[in-house]
Amino acid sequence: MNKSLYWKNRLAFLLTNFVCMLALTLFLIICGNTVSSIALILILWGFILAIGMGSTYWKRKRQMQVLLTMADQLSERYLISEIMELPEQAEDQVYYQLIKMAGKSMLEQIGSVRRERLEYKEYIEQWIHEIKTPITAMKLLCENRRSEFTKEFLTELEKTNHFTEQALYYARSEYTEKDYSVREICLSDVIHQAIADNKYLLLRNNMKVTISNVDHTVFSDDKWVRFILNQLIVNAVKYRTEHPELAFNVRRQGDQVMLYVEDNGIGIEACDLPRIFEKGFTGQNGRTTQNSTGIGLYLCKRLCDKIGIGISADSCKTGTTLCLTFRINHFVHEVQD
Amino acid sequence: MNRYKIMVIEDDPVIQGELRALLEGNGYVTAGAEDFSSVIETVKKEKPHLILLDIKLPGESGFTLCSKIRIFSDAPIIFVTGCSTDMDELNSIMLGGDAFITKPYNSAILLAKTASLLKRAYPAQQAGQMAYGGAVLHLEASVLEYEGRRTDLTRNEQKILYYLFKNAGNICSRPDITEFLWDNQLYVDDNALSVNINRIREKLAAIGLKNFIKTKHRQGYTL
Repeated sequence: MNKSLYWKNRLAFLLTNFVCMLALTLFLIICGNTVSSIALILILWGFILAIGMGSTYWKRKRQMQVLLTMADQLSERYLISEIMELPEQAEDQVYYQLIKMAGKSMLEQIGSVRRERLEYKEYIEQWIHEIKTPITAMKLLCENRRSEFTKEFLTELEKTNHFTEQALYYARSEYTEKDYSVREICLSDVIHQAIADNKYLLLRNNMKVTISNVDHTVFSDDKWVRFILNQLIVNAVKYRTEHPELAFNVRRQGDQVMLYVEDNGIGIEACDLPRIFEKGFTGQNGRTTQNSTGIGLYLCKRLCDKIGIGISADSCKTGTTLCLTFRINHFVHEVQD
Repeated sequence: MNRYKIMVIEDDPVIQGELRALLEGNGYVTAGAEDFSSVIETVKKEKPHLILLDIKLPGESGFTLCSKIRIFSDAPIIFVTGCSTDMDELNSIMLGGDAFITKPYNSAILLAKTASLLKRAYPAQQAGQMAYGGAVLHLEASVLEYEGRRTDLTRNEQKILYYLFKNAGNICSRPDITEFLWDNQLYVDDNALSVNINRIREKLAAIGLKNFIKTKHRQGYTL
């Protein structure tokens, strides 16, 4: 509470008191009182006024302070109207009612926005369900009629499928509920699946793929990991050099299993490296190549954060290494509990 | 050879047609469901060895059908679906499904799953060997035999020979062979393929098979 403003607001009341004091003094002089008795009355008046106003100020200040700390401790500040008590003063009660009304309409708004978002997410999931049918049909049509043309077509279909998956996982990552199930998965299976998902893309770009020492099991959701690997593969193809190579390799260190995805592409500038997981960040490579969206790695990071996988990147002129870190003990204990 | 019959229960006519074409192209007999109100009767009549079942169907869902089929049949059931949630996957296992594949399925994975489920459900029907021009390829032992002489093959070499044997008489292009190897999780590039073919030729020459694999200029290889 602003002290000087508070006293400025009380100025009219103090002035009234002063005028009353003057009038009383005049009246008492006319009545023929002595100066000392008049002074005593005035001092007494001033004293009572000061105590009264001081204590009111102190009480108000404390009340306001309580409200402020209460609001401060709330994580959702707009809920303050729900927990504050009905004030005693008439004007305060009007403000109280106003806050209540505002809070209620705010809650209604939030509720409807949440509902809309949920509906939209459900729509997106359903849409992706629907679009998979024609994609599957096209894929089968192509695979039953193999030619140079269908291979190109299948590459494009892989991209289409990747983008739809991206939309699905974006919708899933936005929402706070759990859309995954953690179980024991074999990393080599997931890696083989991710490569199979991008078979035509990799073959067309003559990507040399090596897989070494990947027979490790971790506790995670295979579909999420597969999506993340898909994204890393697509990136490796996008930022490739003339003789592209891609290596998957797993190392175990204590209770951590690290999956390294290494390419020999154009690499990431050191100054860009700390920001590659930010949404919409495309960096130096984004300016030189056309189709960087700044979504892919951002989404990977979000999914990793949700499911408890560590993700980090390292890069030099001769390529980029992405590292996914799975913790074993952490999840095993949770599953067993 | 006793050919397996696979039933495709899928409401999208294009997918059903193409899936059956794919399976027939790989040596299976197929049957489809046209009338979705009497799927169970069709299954009873056709007696398939394996069933591919979509979850979202007009009328009864794939889950309901699965539990109904399980009453009278033990044939492996593979669920295929567009958007899989964990509940769907759990349901499919609870109701007696054997595998779960999400659209758009990789045809190689679909065929591999089909083959492995059939092998598990109906064991020991295949001899596991292929023959062409006097040479016999033993798949299990990964050995090539010619006039009593044998040579061991690596996994890459065995798969390349398997593909050539399977398409014996036809020309197999280098990209097709590479793709087949990739489907078998062997990520071989163009150079490595040449190296492998040369090594196979050396091994074949050592057991007396000369000019078994012929190169068709700019087209590929053939037996």
